[in-house]
Amino acid sequence: MKTLKKFAHVDAKSIDEAASILRAGKAAIISGGTDILGAMRFEILPNYPEVLVNLKTIPDMDYIKEEVGMLKIGALARLEDIAKNKLVRTKYTALAEGAHRTATPHIREMGTIAGNICQMTRCWYFRSPDNRFDCFRKGGKMCYAMQGDNRYHSIFGAVKACMAVNPSDTAPALVALNARIKTNKGLIEAEKFWDVNSSGSTVLGQDEIVTEIQIPTPAAGAKSAFIKFATRKSIDFPIVNCAVMIGAGNARVCLNAVYNKPYRATAAEESIKGKPINENNADAAGAAAVASAAELKPDDRRRWKVPIAKAMVKRAILACA
Amino acid sequence: MSEEEKNKMNEQESKEGFGHISRRSFLKDAGLVIGAAPTIGVIAVSAEAATPKPADAPAAKGAAPSVPPSAGLSTIDLTINGGRHRFTVEPHWSLRQILRDEAGYTSPKDWCGGLGACGSCTVIMNGRPVLSCLTLACECNGASIETAEGIAKTKHPIIQAYINNNAFQCGYCTPGFVCTAKALLDKNKNPTEADARDALGGNLCRCATYQRHPLAVLEAARKLRGEA
Repeated sequence: MKTLKKFAHVDAKSIDEAASILRAGKAAIISGGTDILGAMRFEILPNYPEVLVNLKTIPDMDYIKEEVGMLKIGALARLEDIAKNKLVRTKYTALAEGAHRTATPHIREMGTIAGNICQMTRCWYFRSPDNRFDCFRKGGKMCYAMQGDNRYHSIFGAVKACMAVNPSDTAPALVALNARIKTNKGLIEAEKFWDVNSSGSTVLGQDEIVTEIQIPTPAAGAKSAFIKFATRKSIDFPIVNCAVMIGAGNARVCLNAVYNKPYRATAAEESIKGKPINENNADAAGAAAVASAAELKPDDRRRWKVPIAKAMVKRAILACA
Repeated sequence: MSEEEKNKMNEQESKEGFGHISRRSFLKDAGLVIGAAPTIGVIAVSAEAATPKPADAPAAKGAAPSVPPSAGLSTIDLTINGGRHRFTVEPHWSLRQILRDEAGYTSPKDWCGGLGACGSCTVIMNGRPVLSCLTLACECNGASIETAEGIAKTKHPIIQAYINNNAFQCGYCTPGFVCTAKALLDKNKNPTEADARDALGGNLCRCATYQRHPLAVLEAARKLRGEA
């Protein structure tokens, strides 16, 4: 097994303390550790952190509680605890299912919700050990997936010259459920939380730390669902996944692993909004969701993902019936 | 082996984080820690770094607090299979390294190389099945850890159930499976086959005895309930 290179390690006692260490530079956060330690061990980070700031020593960060009009989940709530939580399973089904389908039972026992939404892309050029490809995400000038093997990459085009996809299973659920992400600097709508830059996959500033996820209680009669397509039932990252919330005359549809950020399929939302949920309407919504991916050339390696995305939207909508 | 060669090997070992810390590397690391304390972000291994700076020296940038001395070597207390242990660990050491190389429990295996993709290094930490390759030892202070050795020692029915059901061939992945299965049985005395498959979903088995693992888990569950 490759040994981790040396770094200093600080057990933070508060978010403020952790933020001040991040501000000083060359530091990274560790909570569950399931993404960062693998990335460090295989040296895929453009800048190897000199300090790891442990958030697990900050008290009371892993709660799951319902307050007036919203569900509050502490940033360090374990995915397995979210997946098993009765309240989340009944009222926020898409999130419970998204958490349950993430990675493996072990990683769900270790990994946190905040870590899951902040995780780095799985693009195989980005993840190639020892920084073999100085891709755009590492401060390089080009995206190797544009010319190379991009069968798992974005079907809706690149963002800032990066073709990678966001691999999170909980992210589309949070977008579909209209969640907000609370940090030590303010509230960010889930939809606007992700971005493409060389330091990560989010809009978070250097010393910004996710502290809480807030999800408004769904309207009466609204239902949500999550569905994932991957090679195996466990372990694998999604090839395409989709979360949907429908009800009370509203619809929110979000695909992931098809674009650099969770992809809100507004065309599908318009298509299904207010209509009865049945095979035909769900099919039409699925077709609407992937309409803009139709410009992929017939010999494009990514074309196979388009019908899958369409089917995911359809099945997720039908699951809300 | 000449004395020089031996020294070289010792040094190599300690660089890789295995075995015991040699005197030379300990001094080097201690210097690194002290040097790092006042200005985090700049960790230089040099002779100057060993000179401690005043604690109230202005921080490098912004209002960065000084990193406590525990940012270097730290002492952790672990309960492993009921026995108490104390280790002095470096920040970059994994729990798996400590269990295997310091405590001598060799059941946490390595297959995927430390990516968290195979489950063969699974141990039970505070009731949760976790990957010891992706757990930093320095974050485990006070933890209670159970390895496959401990499960076998307590004569947990899962061990005999694995034998009865031939749920392995080469056996390399078995300690990981056994730990995961035991963690499931601790929480769920009446698992269905689907529960067992779901819980074992993170363990890979190269010999592909996948059909037999749930049988073993279900048999152990029956034993635990006193039905068989």
